[in-house]
Amino acid sequence: MKSASYLRSMRFVRFFLFLLLTIGLLWLLQTPQHVGSNTLPALGSFFNPFSGFWLNAESTAGFPAAEIQISGLKGKVEVVYDDLLVPHIFAENTEDALRAQGYVTAKHRLWQMDISTRKAAGRLSEVLGERTLNIDRLSRRRGMVFAAENAVRGWSKSPEGMRLLEAYCAGVNAYVAQLKPADYPLEFKLLGYAPEPWSPLKTALLVEAMAETLCAGENDLASTNAYALFGRDTFNYLYPEWNPKQRPIIPDTGQWAAIPRPQTPAYEPDYSSAPQEATGQAPLGERPDYIVGSNNWAVAGSKTASGDPILCNDPHLNLTLPSIWFQVQIHTPGQNCYGVSLQGLPGIIIGFNEDIAWGVTNVGHDVSDWYRIRWADAARTRYLLDGEEREAELKVEEIRIKGQAPLLDTVRYTVWGPVAYDHDPEHPLRDCALRWVTHDEPAPAEMMMLMWLDGAKNYADYRQAIRGYESPAQNFAFASRTGDIAMTVQGRLPIRAREQGRFVLDGSKQASAWGGFIPPEQVPAMRNPARGFVFSANQHSTPPTYPYYYLSPDFDGTRGRHIFDRLTALQNATADSMKTIQLDNFSQRAADALPVLLRLLNRDKLGEEGKKLAAELSNWDFRYEASATAPPLYEVWFDSCYWRTWDEITMLREQGKSVLLPERWRFIELLESDTASIFFDRQDTPQRETARELVHDAFARMQKFFEENPEKRVRWGKYRPFAIRHIAQIEAFSRTDLELGGHGSAPNAISRSNGPSWRMIVELGEQVRAKGVYPGGQSGNPGSRYYDNMVDAWATGKYYDLLFLKNKDAAPADRELARLTLLPK
Amino acid sequence: MKNTLFVFGLVFFAGQLCHMGVPWWGVAPIGVLAGWLFPQNVGRGFIAAFLGGFLLWLSAAYLLDVPNEGILSARIGNLFMGLSSGHILLLTGILGALPAGFGYLTGHAARSAFGTK
Repeated sequence: MKSASYLRSMRFVRFFLFLLLTIGLLWLLQTPQHVGSNTLPALGSFFNPFSGFWLNAESTAGFPAAEIQISGLKGKVEVVYDDLLVPHIFAENTEDALRAQGYVTAKHRLWQMDISTRKAAGRLSEVLGERTLNIDRLSRRRGMVFAAENAVRGWSKSPEGMRLLEAYCAGVNAYVAQLKPADYPLEFKLLGYAPEPWSPLKTALLVEAMAETLCAGENDLASTNAYALFGRDTFNYLYPEWNPKQRPIIPDTGQWAAIPRPQTPAYEPDYSSAPQEATGQAPLGERPDYIVGSNNWAVAGSKTASGDPILCNDPHLNLTLPSIWFQVQIHTPGQNCYGVSLQGLPGIIIGFNEDIAWGVTNVGHDVSDWYRIRWADAARTRYLLDGEEREAELKVEEIRIKGQAPLLDTVRYTVWGPVAYDHDPEHPLRDCALRWVTHDEPAPAEMMMLMWLDGAKNYADYRQAIRGYESPAQNFAFASRTGDIAMTVQGRLPIRAREQGRFVLDGSKQASAWGGFIPPEQVPAMRNPARGFVFSANQHSTPPTYPYYYLSPDFDGTRGRHIFDRLTALQNATADSMKTIQLDNFSQRAADALPVLLRLLNRDKLGEEGKKLAAELSNWDFRYEASATAPPLYEVWFDSCYWRTWDEITMLREQGKSVLLPERWRFIELLESDTASIFFDRQDTPQRETARELVHDAFARMQKFFEENPEKRVRWGKYRPFAIRHIAQIEAFSRTDLELGGHGSAPNAISRSNGPSWRMIVELGEQVRAKGVYPGGQSGNPGSRYYDNMVDAWATGKYYDLLFLKNKDAAPADRELARLTLLPK
Repeated sequence: MKNTLFVFGLVFFAGQLCHMGVPWWGVAPIGVLAGWLFPQNVGRGFIAAFLGGFLLWLSAAYLLDVPNEGILSARIGNLFMGLSSGHILLLTGILGALPAGFGYLTGHAARSAFGTK
């Protein structure tokens, strides 16, 4: 028989056991769990239906009308949401309108605002841990924060611009301040951190992030290495800068005759020594593998059915969820404007008002150069400039890392800019400083650019508004109700001596500096050309007769040529005919290359199956339709030809050396005109091949590839993977189920993860009529029906009629979803 | 039997009030309280607390899931290795049930160790 004290002690043991079990269970559910390479959120708080993810499940029926008080408002603001969740803001003045814009943008896109500026700020590791440390380090070392601080300094010199920006920030913060943890956007709960207040610096970081995407490209090292490898004559042969077939954005009509050639001292590059030094490990893989491009055009009334101008724009960017763009209408007594905005930037970037419409594409000039520094001491704190020693400015970056001690990283700043890669002793740009336009303090007027443009009434207003715009440089297409159309290549564009900046520059000479910037009145521009249209598609801004030298890492002429042909042939244009151009899957590049390849192919030597494939290719209309089966054949064949031709270069690239590859248009030109070129000879065979043998061999490889991989012998939409990924690459919040046509070389420039991020068509006239669509939804919340509700329409080439309201009560009842009233506190 | 209903009722109803603003583990101390206040057969009591917590969380989640037409629960299901909306609801219920049930066991054991007969 057990004693009473034994039983009593057993009760204690049992109690402690259960207590421990309960605490253990709570601890387990309280702690984020690592499953493989993924981290699952703490299950207890994440699943808690009173504060976890469930609270992000928005009712599909919309939301009830609400009244909210915001301090700083001068009057009442009414926000009318339409059935696509587009907020139409009606305010009594611009400041109130922007405060409201900040509020509603934060309401729907707060986490996106946070994460997109965190990358530029080099602060991802604070919330994601060590895995993003290298991204953060590079952002800091490339001077992203330095650039943002300079931007805020520049904008601050315009009190009006700053007042409006601060009103926008205060609107964001009014939303953030009233959030309880239960209200945080889903991703904050998932990743386990909290939103922060917004600030002008964060807006600047957003602008720098766009600049990083749009104007950070350069081929300096790869070109330098190619020059060292091949010498001047072969270099010129392989890498000509001007494609004679392309249609530049602004043709030469004699308008530049009066501009004197710039008097910059002729740049004398010292190629004999520097390039060899530069040969080394390449920063391969740092640039995204997609091509960022865009189309815009404006057609004069002489070419349209209605007699009114039509303006179209489809900026091609990396497609993400939440979407890059956020639609909004801003109505004040002084202006009424509709379009797409970027989360964190006040105003509308691409859009229209009652008088004008505008759209942008990327100019793509190379505005970032590397300058080789000659250090004066072993510690690399002083460097030589024209024989004199200069002190490098040392900036210590503190990168905070979740769960670890912060990393302190010292970055050297020279007269050119930051020495970005000297933390890596093996890096070929280790001793080079980055000179990047985006680092420069902008003109104070830059912040006002969108305000002025959003309220512009005519051509003169438009030119005046964009005059102060600097970076990233954009091709601004314009059309007005009164019949004007125009195009301006606007931005801070360096004045360079011929080929200056094509190669790594000598940073020990002041003479290596740019010769200033092209004056705003001399940037390439045109208004009301006789041909009846203006257009741009990331091609050369001008023919070589333009007085200023410029270069680009990736001018793309193929889309532009086809759009030029389509617009030239256009008569009685309507919004529908504009759609057919935006959705056009015709590839000018394939139309250039395939006939040449087929001509070089010896069909008599092909077997039965080979002849069938050749026939299928011959019958292809060069359209990358989702249902077409010829494009995969062509792609594999062309790529095989291309990569096998440049085996000399790819061998080096495989060893990690960065050597420039010839552009595809030049490759096609060589196939056409120089079939005996030494470059068609394979390095790994004793005999000497010509283009004919190379093309034939590549065809056989293509045939074998599809015989060995029959699952790849499918229609284009299935062959080419496509995804719209969540910004944090969360698969469950991405769309990977779409089969699409299109190609980077076609106007409908859809590639794996990149494509038209906003398709807009605006018909000017007494009543402005506009259509638009983007591959996403207005809400950034994966728990909202408006998260990806426009994706299917976008994928199938449908557009929405944009609801452009004259006043707050003008929305048809069936298109009004809800109302939000903002009142002064 | 009455005490069993009390356990269930305390967890389910006090849980409703208590969850407004308290941390997610608030349901565990309620389970402890129920175990202390309503002694009975431990198995039955555990099941009552477990069910109370289960229904507390499940019903709250369900009331959000229905007007959302399951959009979010489907996405969260994908996030958790391809579970369905229904699985996510079930998992939510279990995550509410476990702390309540274990809390009950602790409270029950505490009473038998420290309480007066």
